[in-house]
Amino acid sequence: MSRHSKELEQMGIPTAPCTAINVAEYLRGYDRIYNNGMPLRYTVFPLPVAGVSREVHVKYVNGVDPVTSKPIMQEILDALTRPLTPEEQLTGFPPSAMEPRELPPDTEENLQAFFKARDWTDYLPIVLSTEERVAAMLKGTSHKPDEVVKTLHWPGGGRQLTVEKAAICAVMAGAKPQHLPVILAIANMVPFGNSTTSMTNVIIVNGPIRREIGMNSGTHAMGPYNEANSVIGRAFTLLSKTAGNLHAGKTTFSAMGSSLQYNNCCFAENEEALPDGWNPLHVQFGYRKEDSVVTVGIGWTYISCVGEALTEYPPQMLIRDYMKSVSGIGSAALLCADPLVAKVLHDYQGFASKEALSIWLGQNVKVPVQQFWGNGVVSTIAGSLGAQGLEPYASWLKLPADSVIAPFHNPKAVNTVVVGGQTNTIWYITDFRLSKGILIDNWR
Amino acid sequence: MPREVSKGKVTVLNPACSSKVAERVPLAPRKFSNLEGKTIFLVDSGWGGPTGGYDVFEVMQDWFKQHIPSAKTILVKKKGMWADNDPELWKRIKAEGDAAIYGISC
Repeated sequence: MSRHSKELEQMGIPTAPCTAINVAEYLRGYDRIYNNGMPLRYTVFPLPVAGVSREVHVKYVNGVDPVTSKPIMQEILDALTRPLTPEEQLTGFPPSAMEPRELPPDTEENLQAFFKARDWTDYLPIVLSTEERVAAMLKGTSHKPDEVVKTLHWPGGGRQLTVEKAAICAVMAGAKPQHLPVILAIANMVPFGNSTTSMTNVIIVNGPIRREIGMNSGTHAMGPYNEANSVIGRAFTLLSKTAGNLHAGKTTFSAMGSSLQYNNCCFAENEEALPDGWNPLHVQFGYRKEDSVVTVGIGWTYISCVGEALTEYPPQMLIRDYMKSVSGIGSAALLCADPLVAKVLHDYQGFASKEALSIWLGQNVKVPVQQFWGNGVVSTIAGSLGAQGLEPYASWLKLPADSVIAPFHNPKAVNTVVVGGQTNTIWYITDFRLSKGILIDNWR
Repeated sequence: MPREVSKGKVTVLNPACSSKVAERVPLAPRKFSNLEGKTIFLVDSGWGGPTGGYDVFEVMQDWFKQHIPSAKTILVKKKGMWADNDPELWKRIKAEGDAAIYGISC
């Protein structure tokens, strides 16, 4: 919004941007200083805006700005007509505060408190990032400390995430040097999901490095029972809060947050237990089996089958049913299946490959179109695409409310990863949308 | 042992990255002191689905009819998703409009 309002202002059109209260402080503060540069005159609306009746909107328009307590329409008229103040006419760069490489010496207790005060932690104790520890961590890669892994432009500021900064966060997370190549690879995907909708991430490791660094792909792989899974996932969170600069109430506003963000659901695929014809995730994405690759996904939903698979109602049927509760944004779903489930699907249900399962699910998961459009994020994203004529959304927009559609129309976005220790026929269906994977070997 | 731990104090490396500030850009000059006789575009960004912000702008149109009847309002939906640019619309607003109200983000 600020970008488009700025563009109109630069064309000479006085513009009154309207925002809801949740992001008003961010827009007037952080976004203006580090991203937009223009002192836009925002009018602030109460929440919620979507999902309420016209009567509520009438109250809003005839009510007051909850920040200034001035009438909303008067704020808008002022924004469009009031002469500019000297500050609103400033040009050039304002002074900026640089982050020093070292922090002032202090006691360990005070530094732990300082890191929390800066919101650099997940509020669990960290390992303090002394020069010695960071130097030892850097032995886990051949890359130079000052090499830039990624420049982060969200949420503004053009911050350069270097190898040394990633190593600092690796130390803080309790990682070992052998974990660093994976952490450097996922640093390319920082920061983690940031949305009022409270999204989260998944981190999946494939290839030989899983075994080299002792990652767990078996029993308890998705729980707190393995050092490598734990510290790599935690490092992603710490990178997102430090280099990523995501701080609650300042630059991120998740309505509820997600407990998955403590570890970002970090695990390895159990490649050794894949049925014949079922390729590891990274091979599906075009890498070689001997490559080490990490895949980061983003999503919201995580549903367990709860109990063991039954002969009378085989796993694909229940997966199909539970997928109806997944939003279908971008046709994305990720099935996390224990090897026993994979065996049942492959040996007894005839799914010769992961891709065959994806196609079957895409064809057989069906929901009323009103349910699909009833999701606000779907409606905002896919609805806009449909309005431009992009299929299948354009056709779905024209259907009667009770029409049935197959929302997982792109089988390539419906992925399966095999993980677990074969103690039960358990699976999770999620809506994680996966990236195409990052080669960890490039960061050794 | 961490450096300087014997003195009771530790020096640690800073995990935060320096942020570059944005270049300041002034607002457009305000050339009129009221909206009498002006053309105002109400631009729905699409946030909140097809009706969220659009409904609010329809209510605003009613407000203008009642309070500033000489003002002409034009309610439009921006093309694409909320973050997508719509340069054709900006050109139209520049050609036909005097001011714009944009939103509603949340």
